[in-house]
This record gives sequence, C-alpha cells and structure tokens, in this order.
Amino acid sequence: MSDHSPVETLVEMRHIEKSYGRVHALRDVNLTIRKGEIVGLLGDNGAGKSTLIKVLSGAVPYSSGEIRIKGRPVAMTSTNDAIAAGIETIYQDSALVPQLSIARNLFLGRELTTGRLGRLDLDRMNEVAAELLKRVGISKNIPPTTPIGSLSGGERQAVAIARAMYFDSDLIILDEPTNNLGVAETQGVLRFVREARDTGHSCIFIAHNIHHVFQVVDRMVVMRRGTVVADDLSPKTSSIQDVEDVITGDHIHV
Amino acid sequence: MSDPSSLSAAHPPEQGVLRRLVAKPEFGPLVLLVAMILVFTVINPTFLSLNNIGNALTFTVELGLIALAMTLLMTAGEFDLSVGSVFGFAPVVMWAFFNAGLMPLPAAFVVAMLIALAIGLFSGLFVTRLGIPSFLVTLGMLLVVRGTALWLTSGFPQRTWDAGEQWLAELLVGDFYVGGLRVYMSLIWFVILAVIFHQFLTRTRFGNWIQATGGNPGAARNRGVPIQRVKVILFMLSAAMAALAGIISSIRVSAANPNSGTGYELEVIAMVVIGGTVLTGGRGTIIGTVIGVLILRLMRNGIVLIGVPGLAYNIFIGAIILGMMALHAALERRHNAGT
Ligand SMILES: Nc1ncnc2c1ncn2[C@@H]1O[C@H](COP(=O)(O)OP(=O)(O)O)[C@@H](O)[C@H]1O
Ligand SMILES: [Mg+2]
Repeated sequence: MSDHSPVETLVEMRHIEKSYGRVHALRDVNLTIRKGEIVGLLGDNGAGKSTLIKVLSGAVPYSSGEIRIKGRPVAMTSTNDAIAAGIETIYQDSALVPQLSIARNLFLGRELTTGRLGRLDLDRMNEVAAELLKRVGISKNIPPTTPIGSLSGGERQAVAIARAMYFDSDLIILDEPTNNLGVAETQGVLRFVREARDTGHSCIFIAHNIHHVFQVVDRMVVMRRGTVVADDLSPKTSSIQDVEDVITGDHIHV
Repeated sequence: MSDPSSLSAAHPPEQGVLRRLVAKPEFGPLVLLVAMILVFTVINPTFLSLNNIGNALTFTVELGLIALAMTLLMTAGEFDLSVGSVFGFAPVVMWAFFNAGLMPLPAAFVVAMLIALAIGLFSGLFVTRLGIPSFLVTLGMLLVVRGTALWLTSGFPQRTWDAGEQWLAELLVGDFYVGGLRVYMSLIWFVILAVIFHQFLTRTRFGNWIQATGGNPGAARNRGVPIQRVKVILFMLSAAMAALAGIISSIRVSAANPNSGTGYELEVIAMVVIGGTVLTGGRGTIIGTVIGVLILRLMRNGIVLIGVPGLAYNIFIGAIILGMMALHAALERRHNAGT
C-alpha cells in the first residue's frame, strides 16, 4: 500500500477506531482508496461497513485515528468537511428529500441563487437539472420539477449519482444502492457507477449481492467484526466462492 | 434502466391542468372555503356585507400571524404549543414596563419581542440539542410562560389605555376606510407578511432547507444543511409572531390580560393543517394556511349569522379537521397508487 505516491492516493484512513458505547464497531481499520478506482466494500451484517463510510463522510465521529485526503489530514468532524474534501455519500434511504423536486434535490445545500437575499434561481436550477437528467439517460418526459417521491427506486439512485457527478466529487460512496431494485434498475445503477469511474471519479460500493459487486469493482475490501480482513481481492483473480469464504471467515480453517 | 424510454413510460408528459390543480394541497381547502361562503350567503345575505367581512378580517389576523410562522415550523417537522401563552405574556411584559414608566412604548415593545425570541431560542435548543420531542418541550414552555405571566401580574390585566396617542399603536392597529370597508393596519401587516412568508418558503435557499429539514432530515444533514439551526430559527420566529400578535390584540381590545391566548395553539395548528400543511413535516403551504385561517374565521362568524349557537363552533371545526385529513389521506393514497 505504502508504495503508492500521495498523488495517486485519494483517501487514506489510518488506525481508525470507533465505539458506540460498548460496541466496538471499528478496530484499527486501515483503508486506502486510489484515484479512479471502484472499491467494493464487503462484509456480513454488522461488520462495520456503514460505520466506516459514515466516519469517512463526517456523519459520525470516530474515537481515534487519522484521515488524509490527497495527502492532507482532514478532521472530518462534520458532513461539510467531507463535502469540502470532495466526498459525496449516497445513503440508501437518506440521499434525497421525497417532497422536493428533482432540481431542488440536486442542488440541496448548494442552491443556485440570485442577489443577496438567498433568492433561488429556479430557472437555472431546472435548466441544469434537465441537462443532467438527459446526460444520465432519464430525461424523457420527466420534468426537473417532478417530486422525487414519484420516481422509482432506480431513478432516485440515478438522480443521486448524477448529483455526485455534477458536483465533480472525487469520491462517490454508495451504501447498498442496489437494495430493493429490479434487475433492469440494478443494471442502470451499475452503469452509472462505471460511468462515474470513466469520468475520473473514485467509488466505494457497498452491496449485499456479491454478483453486483463483481460486475463493477476493481478491488474488494472485506470487513469482519470491525476489522479489515482483506483489502486487495480482485474480481479477476478471486472467485465469488473465495470472497464469500473471506467474508464468513471460513478460509481460515481451510 | 439501460433503455431510457422504458423509464419514462410511467411519466406522461402532461398531466392535464385540472388534474394538477386537484393534486395541489390547497385545492381541498379552497373548495371548502368557496362552498362555505356560498352556503352562508344563501342562508343569510348579510354574510357578504362589507361590514361583516371587515369585522371577520380584523379578528382574523391575530391568529393568522401565528399561523404563518407555525406553517414554516411545521414544514420543518416541529410545532409549538407555547404560542398561546407567549401571546398572553408578551403584551403583559410590554405594558408592565411602559406603565411603570421605565421606558417609552417602542422600547418596551422591543424588550417584549426580545424576550419572546429568547423563549423561542430556548425551546429550539431544547428540541434540537437534547432531542426531546417538540410536543413535550413546548408543553413545558406553555406552562412556564403562562405561569410567569400570571405570577407577575397576580392574575390582573395590565392597563393599556394610554395607547391611543402612541404612533406604535397606530402603526400596528390603526384603521382607515377603503370605500365603505374599514381596514385595520393589522390586516395590512398580515397580507404583507403572508406574501413575504410565501416567497420565503418557496423561493429562497432557506425555504428549501425548511422543506428538506422536515422532509428527510438525514438527507438534509448529509447535504450540509444546518437542520438544527433551521429549527431553532423557526422556533424563534414562531415565538416572535405570537408576541407580535398578542401585542396587536392587546392594543385593539385595550387590555393585556395574562390569561389571553389560552387555547390559541390548537386553533392555530388547526388552521395550518386544514390548509394542507403536513403535521409530520416536509410539505407546507402558506397559501393553504391563509385559506385555513379564513375558513376558521368565517365559520365562527357564519354559523352565528345563520342562527347556529356559537357554542357549537368547535363541532364544526373538529369535523372540518377530520374531513380534511381524510381528504388529504385519500389524495395521497391515490397519488402513490398512480406511480
Ligand atoms: N448508532 C449505533 N448505535 C449503536 N451501535 C451501532 C450503531 N450503528 C451501528 N452499530 C453497531 O456497530 C456495528 C457495525 O454496524 P454497521 O456499521 O451498520 O455494519 P454493516 O453496515 O457492515 O452492516 C454493529 O454491531 C451495529 O450493531
Ligand atoms: Mg450497513
């Protein structure tokens, strides 16, 4: 890991510890993300995947450790720290506001305004949103003023990913983006993830379904009971069975 | 998903003007308002007289001012039960300071407003920092504020009859005639503030944050929206509007009674939800609230004119709330079924 120069390394998490009261959710976790790679983060329920990415996106405080983005230490004490560092996290159920329009969701927290009173530039927001929808291929007949609540699950993921791409985040984190999606919609999400990489974004991709992960990632990191137990599995050299054994810990006894 | 056209199938390009109008949360309340006016006017034509409308509108605004702020607070997912007690408390403070000769009326007004803001700040911090539901926090605040008003005054109303020559009193509740219609300044304030609040909620960055805070707090926080600050500011706004309404009322009726405003919190919340704002947050409408304010006001006025005992008023209000909630729920279900 250490032989990568800091220019290639986007994220470096070192010796991260996190406890929720008595629950030791992360133990001495080290994770490196390079520029332009898609990393699959795997592990059984409760392994600590969500906690790890919440730490990385400033959503929960960590107990100790160090986080560097492009070589620079970042305190990561709030989601704003992560946004400023170019990290965009798409949580399964808390990515978008169902009552707000597509355009308002795309620009939430970074609204386009005119003048000093914080007046929204809705025309421009809708224009850009329509453009963006066209680019990700869900433009037809969906006006940018449509509330998110009336979109399908796949369309919502597409909007969330489009947002991350529009704001040119260096790292896009997806926590279980394919849960509850149909086959076609899942393929759509995977296509967006590849598109994001092809345009230079790094991705952390968490999914229950190993087949989804295998289709899209460059490298796999496996967590078990709060620690990283493997961080350089490749879908080219490992089989699904191999990876499943690492996830459950069966490979130790083999 | 790989085929763009398959995604769009569920979204016909134009839903039709009528369907979109019906889908608006303000539609139900608007129909009810028009129906009410028609029925009352047919039974008793004086209902539509200038005199009656003027009267009804005057008393409208005091609760209406609070309802405007409550709409924003409820859109952000919280509500405030202490507005009625602040309504009673703020004028008591203002007149007590003024009558004691401690300061001129405008200064006493500013002090009363600052105290109201502090009450709102306190409620807001309690709700956001300690994570206690606003129902409990503002219930506690209701009792503390009302108790303080009663204790400070020993339960006696404060003298307000020096108000006549005060420019501040003129500005807040003065009146003038437009044709035959007597218009009070307080109505002008209500209209101006309703327009501002509407613009604020629908057209500004902060308004966007209010809706996001109530709609999906997690998503808002993840986008860097300061949801706690949004809520605290709205609690302060709600208390300030309650104080302003109480002060206007005290000047109009020439009495600052420490007991006034009792029960107003429920009437205000009724106005807001009848107008289509959702109690659980995320969706709010100032236009709906203005309609809701008018519905409750004209109902109170109308049932008396058509000879129903005034004491039966609450039956109608309760029935309207239940009917409106059923309607909104039905529309919501149909809307969800359609996607
Ligand atoms: N907010 C929380 N409070 C207490 N314990 C938590 C909290 N969130 C997660 N945990 C615990 O931390 C551990 C890791 O959880 P999580 O990161 O959600 O795992 P994963 O996403 O891999 O399923 C689990 O034991 C879980 O019960
Ligand atoms: Mg998880």
